[in-house]
Amino acid sequence: MTVTQTEAPAARRAGAAEGELEKSTGRRNRRTYLALLIPGVLGLVVSFVFPLAYMVRMSFNKGAPDGVIEETFTLDTYIQPLTDPYYWRVTLDTFQMGVTVGLLCVLVSYPVALFLARSTSKYRGLLIAVAIAPLLTSAVVRTYGWMVILGTNGLVNSTLDGMGLIDTPLKLTNNMTGVTIGLVEIFMPYAILAMISGFGRLSPQLEEAAGSLGASKLQIFTRVTLPLSLPGILTAFLLVFVLSISTFITPRLLGGGSVQVLATEIYDQTTGLLNWPFAAALSVILLVLFGLIIAVYQRLTKKIGG
Amino acid sequence: MTESKLSIVDLTKRYAAGLDPAVDRLNMEVEEGHLVALLGPSGCGKTTTLRMVAGLMDPTAGSIVVDGKEITHTPVNKRGMGMVFQSYALFPHMNVEQNVAFGLQMRQTSKSEQKRRVAGALDMVQLGHLSKRQVKDLSGGQQQRIALARALVVEPTLLLLDEPLSNLDAKLRETMRTEIRSIQQRTRATTLFVTHDQDEALDMADRIAVMNGGLIEQFGSPTDVYERPRTRFVANFIGQANFLNARVLSETGSAAKGETHYRVSIDGLGQFGAVGAPGLTGSTHELVIRPHRLRVSLQPAGTETIAGVIERVNYTGDALSVAVKAGDRVLQSQMPTSSGDLPRTGDAAYLSWNEQDAYLLPTPVKEPAA
Amino acid sequence: MRVITKGKIALAAAATAAALVLTGCGGSAGSSSGGNSSATSGELNLIAYSGVWQDQYTAAVIEPFKAKYPDIKINYSSKRSSAEMLSALQGQKNNPATDVAIMDNSVSTTGNTQGLFDKIDPAAVPNLANVPEQFKNKGGFGPVVMLDAVGLLYDTATFPKAPESWDVLWDPAYAGKINVNAPPSLLGLSLTAITSKMEGEDYTKSIDKAVARLKEMAPGVQTFAPNPDEYQNVITGQTVLGLGQNARGQFYSDQSNKKMGVTFPKEGTVYQINTVNVVKDAPNKAAAQTFVDYALSAEAQTAFAKALFYAPSVTNADLPADVKDRVVPTDGSLNIVPLDVEFLSSARDKWTDTWKRQIITK
Repeated sequence: MTVTQTEAPAARRAGAAEGELEKSTGRRNRRTYLALLIPGVLGLVVSFVFPLAYMVRMSFNKGAPDGVIEETFTLDTYIQPLTDPYYWRVTLDTFQMGVTVGLLCVLVSYPVALFLARSTSKYRGLLIAVAIAPLLTSAVVRTYGWMVILGTNGLVNSTLDGMGLIDTPLKLTNNMTGVTIGLVEIFMPYAILAMISGFGRLSPQLEEAAGSLGASKLQIFTRVTLPLSLPGILTAFLLVFVLSISTFITPRLLGGGSVQVLATEIYDQTTGLLNWPFAAALSVILLVLFGLIIAVYQRLTKKIGG
Repeated sequence: MTESKLSIVDLTKRYAAGLDPAVDRLNMEVEEGHLVALLGPSGCGKTTTLRMVAGLMDPTAGSIVVDGKEITHTPVNKRGMGMVFQSYALFPHMNVEQNVAFGLQMRQTSKSEQKRRVAGALDMVQLGHLSKRQVKDLSGGQQQRIALARALVVEPTLLLLDEPLSNLDAKLRETMRTEIRSIQQRTRATTLFVTHDQDEALDMADRIAVMNGGLIEQFGSPTDVYERPRTRFVANFIGQANFLNARVLSETGSAAKGETHYRVSIDGLGQFGAVGAPGLTGSTHELVIRPHRLRVSLQPAGTETIAGVIERVNYTGDALSVAVKAGDRVLQSQMPTSSGDLPRTGDAAYLSWNEQDAYLLPTPVKEPAA
Repeated sequence: MRVITKGKIALAAAATAAALVLTGCGGSAGSSSGGNSSATSGELNLIAYSGVWQDQYTAAVIEPFKAKYPDIKINYSSKRSSAEMLSALQGQKNNPATDVAIMDNSVSTTGNTQGLFDKIDPAAVPNLANVPEQFKNKGGFGPVVMLDAVGLLYDTATFPKAPESWDVLWDPAYAGKINVNAPPSLLGLSLTAITSKMEGEDYTKSIDKAVARLKEMAPGVQTFAPNPDEYQNVITGQTVLGLGQNARGQFYSDQSNKKMGVTFPKEGTVYQINTVNVVKDAPNKAAAQTFVDYALSAEAQTAFAKALFYAPSVTNADLPADVKDRVVPTDGSLNIVPLDVEFLSSARDKWTDTWKRQIITK
């Protein structure tokens, strides 16, 4: 503004020279960045793009009995599931499972995440580590753990039976109930991590400000804390949703063959019936489902103003 | 006592047993309509005091009384105070209008009343045209004004400001100082104002509480605190000061405001006139002289002068700082610059002052065992 | 329209592997080519079942084989099902890395038609002479190496006497305490055929009556995919009845101190037959023939029958009486529901679909 008027021409020249210098180092930097990207991009192409392209191509082939694949270009693999009410039901069940697990997981993880995010304790790091420690055990092991806990003679049923609350054991496993319980627990660490990182705009000062303006604890929560933690909640929900509908181990092990979702269907088609084109088509459908939900998520976050 | 708007009685905060208290038996009376600055270095307990008054922190002991009503344990949302945070703490998910209306909504004010008062508050901070803006699109100064409007719109019993200007750049800070002061005077909101900036405190406050180590070192008007510091800490924290150990020889008469003129002796420099509280004769006190009250002349003038040599000269455009070595002491002086001859390092210099500008601290210096 | 097998996929996988090696990600390349192997030396790549089958077969057959032919090194690639073995072999078709496969008869028949296996040379496998005609492959491919049958698993505390009829699966008293492996598992396919026969229909034409009957059973089924497996489910008391194979059932019955028993109900059952096959263009063909010959020896057959209760497929294997009583009879004394291999290969997908859509309830 007024400074430029009094700025000496020499200084301006120096500035210009600096700019040029910046440009040339910028070019060099860009080249370095590109060079640094190569291993990652190459890895991604080999491990993701190529297999994905191969899978999409595979989905247009024709599967014959006993694992024979006819290389052709057909939409039958798509027409078949899309015109078959059974696959609509499987897809709908998959979607419903993802939503249920996502909601429940967010519900039980939210208090934990909120506590960890707001904690000023010197043990906060340790507490976060404890909260996500279950990730150190594989999902298979934890699923087996749930089978033991939820089984007919498991911890839950024998406790309820011992207390005289039930006569016949509750069916908590080999159905969607078991799968849901297992998945919620297994994905809690992810939800907690996603929420903690999504609570960026939350600060104790905002809650104090609301309090000083007359808001009760409940009003602080509903008017300030909850709206500000929505981006974190949404991210956690999306993550858990995506993990749920793509997971195969838990529905397989805790579902007892009665829980038919896209992932288990793809597994059966791939390893049991050896119909790879059909499995590939189902995988593409699952991917489209991912895409849809991510699009909705982005709409929502923009609305919330994340 | 009963006419105070706010009384703080023996207020103490100890964060953990065994630690020194952050606030130690603090007492303070604030008059209706006054702006009181809590001034001190970081860690002196000023923010802790403010947070206890706001209800954001529980005192360990003592009580807080507002309008004759004890509120020490009243929850924050029932205190009806308006607080402006250092970070402004505007709700990022609400626009300007919603932010300002928040306190009114909590008080279940009618919609039309809300609208009127929000508009009034925004006009008061001259941001009526930004009512629909998102908070993140505002500049620091604008956010600061919104925070002020949000705190004032509820007509708070007390307005509490926690370092409200520290996040602004120097120019804007001066403007906002004037503005906050003028708004405060118009609304006559009794205000507690935490700051570590002495200029801010001197400029804005009716009363300043200088705090150190959880205690109030001095509570008084800006001129009191500046001209008549009670302790070396206060003299040093507010403005700059030369300190000289002076033995008080005799009274030479009474000065204004109940003070007394004294004849004092400064080791190795001679005898001089000074002013201080009555009854100091016979003991040694620190003599406080502000640098800009210490005259430097290049020729000897008068009798009560200290002769020395100019050791260092700092030219800052508006002012000239001169360090003069007299005996084994170095005294700081400050004078306005003029285009005439300026003193140079190595010149002989003669220091003098007006008697009423040399103030004896009331507490005697512990004499080293002779 | 061109018919390909998973050879193409193998090629693609190889390209991926090569790229991974280039980028430093590594990845184990196939086994070293054993061009220098002979009938008594070199390597042998075997593909067969995993789990307890692998443990027992290794102890009863592979170890003695190694003792006899110390210069042959055996690489055991284990798969959980014959279908997975077939999938692996299809992937290697253009560049086989496997020499011998032991798998279910129905799957090996598919492999034979797809040209995955070689015919067996009787001259190189003298013990083939001891295999009766009915257990030899009519086309000269891999013969039957062992037999088993689908049995009914039961909890011995609930059933002091073994149930005599499959009807017990429909008994409301045991609702919720039954495990049934749904198709494509052979157990589920077998139950479909057995039920169909019980209902008096010809399952090669229609299974409508069987489906109706199985639908009545389904609500009482605790799990259609028992975990960790069908035997442990009964042993741990999660269920009291289940479908299982006789051989493993007998083995786990011993392991569990007879907590679980296995029986062949009177309405009959379905054989589960394993064949031993030499892969076409096997890298170590001579060693493969040596192994097949040993697998058909009386010594190996007897040892494995003792270890895991599979019935021998050769005439000269003499079993002790207590073992003979527990392996599936092959002398025609057992009521067998014939499940034709070729028919099964066409019905597998359909029956699997039927179970998923109509029988398994949520």
